[in-house]
Amino acid sequence: MTVPVIELVDVVRTYPGEPPINALDGVTLSISAREMIAIIGPSGSGKSTLLNIMGTLDRSSSGSVRIDGVDIVELTERQLCGVRATRLGFVFQSFHLIETATVVENVANGLLYQGLSRRSRNLRALDALELVGLGDRASTKPPKLSGGQRQRVAIARAIVAKPSLILADEPTGNLDSRTSADILALLDDLNRVHDATIAVITHDNDVADRFQRCIRMRDGKIENQAHTGGVSS
Amino acid sequence: MTVLTPDGLQAQVVMGRSRIRPSDRVRTGLGGLASRPTRTVLTAMGIAIGIASMVTVVGISASSKADLLAELDKLGTNLLQVRPGQSLLGESSQLPIEAEPMISEVGTVTDTAGITAIDTDVSRNIYDSTPNGLDVVATDGHLDDILQLEPKYGRLIDEQTQTLPVAVLGSVAGERLIINTIDGGPTVAIGGRAFQVIGILRPHPLHPDLDRSVLIGSDFATNVMGTDPNHTAIYVRVSPDRIEDTRPVLARSANPAASSEVDVSRPSDALEAQAKVDQNLQSLLLALGGVALLVGGVGIANIMVISVIERRGEIGLRRALGATRGHIRSQFVIEASALAVLGGVIGLGIGMGATWVYATSQGWVIAVPYRALGLGVIGALAIGALAGLYPASKAARLDPAEAVRPHG
Repeated sequence: MTVPVIELVDVVRTYPGEPPINALDGVTLSISAREMIAIIGPSGSGKSTLLNIMGTLDRSSSGSVRIDGVDIVELTERQLCGVRATRLGFVFQSFHLIETATVVENVANGLLYQGLSRRSRNLRALDALELVGLGDRASTKPPKLSGGQRQRVAIARAIVAKPSLILADEPTGNLDSRTSADILALLDDLNRVHDATIAVITHDNDVADRFQRCIRMRDGKIENQAHTGGVSS
Repeated sequence: MTVLTPDGLQAQVVMGRSRIRPSDRVRTGLGGLASRPTRTVLTAMGIAIGIASMVTVVGISASSKADLLAELDKLGTNLLQVRPGQSLLGESSQLPIEAEPMISEVGTVTDTAGITAIDTDVSRNIYDSTPNGLDVVATDGHLDDILQLEPKYGRLIDEQTQTLPVAVLGSVAGERLIINTIDGGPTVAIGGRAFQVIGILRPHPLHPDLDRSVLIGSDFATNVMGTDPNHTAIYVRVSPDRIEDTRPVLARSANPAASSEVDVSRPSDALEAQAKVDQNLQSLLLALGGVALLVGGVGIANIMVISVIERRGEIGLRRALGATRGHIRSQFVIEASALAVLGGVIGLGIGMGATWVYATSQGWVIAVPYRALGLGVIGALAIGALAGLYPASKAARLDPAEAVRPHG
């Protein structure tokens, strides 16, 4: 039996207020290596909070969060940064590309905080760009790319460090349906062929239905976890 | 780090560290500037103006001083002037007739020349009685050597001409008598006699009083005009390393009976004092430049705060990629410092250009104040770093989860 990539046990995240708001209320969840899951729920259901806690961008109020078996509650702020630099990859709805840097530089930024040399970062970035089908656009700058291509660059940046877990927050939220399908197919390919573990947050049922496992959130709790059988392209 | 696997085994997990190479740290800091070139240059201008004004002030002052010192060097600081002072009763005293020969006996004295101010008027002609504030001074043929007087036109009083009714005009005297050339043999009237002008002097920085004088031969003055032969000033060159020792000796030699009634001064002191006055003015102008620098620093801080707000997404992304708060802080401090250094370098260029133009227009030697230039760049760097501290810590404190959230 292997250690889950990420394991949340009875995680609570409370925001102060009158009365205090439980954005997450006793969430228990485990994702194994090479799994591809969707987290779905309406606005305010706590899915973004869940992603932030899984991504160590936020800390839980109680409960334990283990990444590769290590309880991150015990880690210092600096160690958490190390976890993000080496074990987690992020894909955001709004891409967050640096417009004045080239595509390869944007992807290489995924390794910037690992202390690698510029040369080795760029070499690995080129490999990652090949994987997402943008090997020929390395020296282009983001303003010259389409939305789908921009999201591919962001995905390349997320996978370049070969993280244990890729967290994607509404990765198709800014894309048309055809480009969305392409991006989902790319994520599926990364999962099946390259063994990437991926968690995608979405509010779109059609998107969620294409994943092996779908976690439905409501009012800070997991409503149900369904195995749907995987992505269909 | 040791973890317990679900099957009860202990496993060693190495969690990676977040670190960035120093070269990447700098590159990341500079990247923000390169992406907004217009804003970068405009913001840097505040510092540039401050540094430019400071460098110009220091540069012009240093060039002026260098020129003054070069002038002093040329004229020599080993020239002393002996004049009659006042008696104990407050009356004007006189130098004895034998004062000059006595002074030339002093071992450290290398050369002497005396002048005698004559109490008479000088005018363009005998019918002109307009007051002009000019003095008439009798001199022998030796004065030009010791004071390094140079004729702008014509010649000076020498052994031959000092017995003749000829005059040499100081630079100001020439202007006031409206005689700009010796062509055509101009004359002036001194004490009702006509004197032919044989030369006009160049301005002399150590002896502005001679610029306002008309020089005539001492033999002519004594023998023909019957003036008092006692010198009213004796110029003395002494060994350069014995100036201070010689000063009291000169007073005693000039008038052994009443040495306290003799004034001994050094004309170059006045020029040195002028250089010091310039330094006071320089400090004031430097302080003004400093204020401009501070204003530039506030401008940088202001723009950096705006930049942090605008780049919330980028900061969130970097935090998600593993940047620590320290990495973000240093990125913005480097950016602010680079902005200020850019301003500093532009300011140096403008300041040196302005110094060059001004010094050249004045015919000065151009002195490059390297120390001021170095201090200017270091000062700009320090102001930039200080200006960047607040926005940088604001950026570092941003909540990463909040920062990556889509805007609006």
